[in-house]
Amino acid sequence: MATTTTILKSTGLTWQVQEKTILDNLNFSVTHGEFVGLIGPNGAGKSSLLRCLYRKIVPSQGELTLLQQPLAAFNRQQLAQRVAVVLQEPPTQFELTVYDVIAMGLTPHKRLLDFDTNSDRETIYRAAEQVDLALKLEQNFNRLSGGEKQRTMIARAIVQQPQLLLMDEPTNHLDIRHQLEALHLARNLNITVLVSIHDLNLAAAFCSRLLLMHEGKIVADGSPAEVLTEANINNVFGVDSAIDRHPYHGGQRISFNLELPQ
Amino acid sequence: MNRRYTRQHGFSVHYASILFVSIILLVVSFAVALASGSVDLTFEQVYASIFCPSSCDISSVHEKILWQIRFPRILMALITGAGLALCGAILQSVTRNPLADPYLFGISSGSALGAVATMALIPGAVLSVTFGALIGGAFSVALMLTLAGRAASHVERLLLAGVAVSFMLSAMTSLILYYSKPEIAASLLFWMMGSFSNSQWHELWLPYSFVGIGFIIFLFFRRWLTAIQAGEESAHTLGVPVRRLRLFLLIICSAITAVLVAHVGGIGFVGLMIPHVCRFLVGAQIHRILWLCAVLGATFMIWVDIISRSLLANQVLPVGVVTSAVGSIFFFVILKSRSRRDID
Repeated sequence: MATTTTILKSTGLTWQVQEKTILDNLNFSVTHGEFVGLIGPNGAGKSSLLRCLYRKIVPSQGELTLLQQPLAAFNRQQLAQRVAVVLQEPPTQFELTVYDVIAMGLTPHKRLLDFDTNSDRETIYRAAEQVDLALKLEQNFNRLSGGEKQRTMIARAIVQQPQLLLMDEPTNHLDIRHQLEALHLARNLNITVLVSIHDLNLAAAFCSRLLLMHEGKIVADGSPAEVLTEANINNVFGVDSAIDRHPYHGGQRISFNLELPQ
Repeated sequence: MNRRYTRQHGFSVHYASILFVSIILLVVSFAVALASGSVDLTFEQVYASIFCPSSCDISSVHEKILWQIRFPRILMALITGAGLALCGAILQSVTRNPLADPYLFGISSGSALGAVATMALIPGAVLSVTFGALIGGAFSVALMLTLAGRAASHVERLLLAGVAVSFMLSAMTSLILYYSKPEIAASLLFWMMGSFSNSQWHELWLPYSFVGIGFIIFLFFRRWLTAIQAGEESAHTLGVPVRRLRLFLLIICSAITAVLVAHVGGIGFVGLMIPHVCRFLVGAQIHRILWLCAVLGATFMIWVDIISRSLLANQVLPVGVVTSAVGSIFFFVILKSRSRRDID
C-alpha cells in the first residue's frame, strides 16, 4: 500500500568528526505522508542529521536509503528531484526577486540549456499562490518579512516537487502567527516531511510523530504523547515540566517550571 | 499590463528596453570613438569609409587612420570592457561577494607578473607576452588554491588567499620593475597602467575567442549561477555541484583576464563596477546581468578610451588611470542615487 511505503530509512547512521561522535548509531524510518518532528536541545545533532540526509555531509558509518535505494545511488540532480530542503533563513547578498527564488526550485528538473516554459511559469505562479505571495512575485526577496521569506522558501520547495521535504528549524525568528503559517503550509503539502523544531508545543500540535535526540542519539521515537513525557523532557532538556491536554487541539500541552533544577 | 503579467510570459519589457537602449548606446559610442581623436573625422567620413570605401570621397590618410589605428583599437577596448565586466559578474556571483573581481582574486596581478617577467627578463622572448600572462594567471590561481588548501571550499578563505596572492605577486612585479633598466621600467610601467594604443587587427582574435567562449560557458551555467546566489548550502540542495562549478568558473575567468591583461595591461575597476550597475538596472537574474555587462562594459571602455585620447592634447593618458578615475566618480553617483532610493 502506498501509504505505508518507506520513504527514508536510517540504519546505524554514525558521523564522527575527529574523535567526537556527532551522530551515534541512528536507526529510524519515515513512511509516506508522515509529518515527523525532530526535537532535542541545541547540539543534539538535529541539523547534522538533516545535512546527512541531503548529503551535505557524508556519514562515517551506517546506511541511508531513500525510496528503498541507497542514498549514494542517486546523483545530485536525482536527489534534488526527490528531496527538497528548507533551510533556516537563507542569506542573500544580491537582489533576487521572490520569483527568482521560487524559480530556483526548477533547477533539478531542468537541463542546463533548458529555458523556462509557460508551464514552468504557471507552476511558479501556482506555488506563489499557495503560499499567498502571488502579488509579491516581483518584490525584492531581501525586503520581505521573516515569515514571507520562509513562505518563499516553501514555495521553492513546492516547485521542486519532492517526495520528501526536510526543514531545518523553519520557525526560527518568526512570530507566533508566522510560525503557525509556516507549519500549516508544510503540513498541507501532503508530502512526507521531516522537520527539526525547537518549540515542543508546536511539535506536539503539528507532528504525527516525533524523534527526540540527545547527544547524537535518538532517545525516543513515537507519537507526541509517547515522546513528550515529563521524564523525557527532564532527562534531555534538564527542565521540569507539567503536561496536560491542550484546550484547542487536544494534544500535549507542555508547561515549563521556570525554576531550573539543581 | 502589470509587471507580473509580463513576467508570467517570460519576457520583461523593462529588461528588453534597457538592453535595447544599451546596444544603441554601444553603437553610437563606437561611431563617436571612430570619429574622435587627434585627427577629427566627421561622421560622414566614417560612414563613407565603412560603407563605400571605393566610390565615396575619403582620403587615404583618413582611411588608414580609421582602418589601421582606430578600428582595432576600439574593438580591443570593446572586448576588454566586455570581458572584464563578465568576469567580475561571474566572480561576484560564485563567491556571493559584491567586492569580488579579477583583481581581488590576484588573477590580474598574476597575469601582470607573467607579462612583465616575460618582457623584462627574456627580451626578444620566444615566449610571447600573452603566454607569459597566461602562465602568470594560472600560477596565481594555483597559488591561491594551494594557500587556501582544504579551506578553498569556503569563500571567505578563498578570497583572503586571493588577496594575499595579489599582494605577493604585485610585490614581485614591483621588484622586477625596480631592477629593470630605467627605459624598460618606464615602458613596463606604462604598459601596466593599461593602453589600447598598440592594438592590431591580428591581435584581436585571441581576446575575442576567449571572451566569446567564456560568455557562452557562463550563459550555459546560468541556472546554477542563479541558484548559488541564495547560498552555497541552498544551491547544494538543488543539485548544484557548487565547489566544482566555482573552481571551473574561476579558471575560465582567470584565462580571460590573463589574455586581456596580456594585450592591454592592467585595467581595474571595470570588473567591479559594471556588474553592480547592471544589477542595479535589471535585477539579479544572471543571464540578464551577463548580456548587459557585455554591452555596458564594452560601452564604458570605449568611452574610457575616447577620454584617454582626448583629455590632453597630443597625449594619450593610461587607460587604467582614466578607468579608475571615471569609474569611481560614476560609481559614487550610482551609490548615492541608490542610497537615496533606499531611504525613500
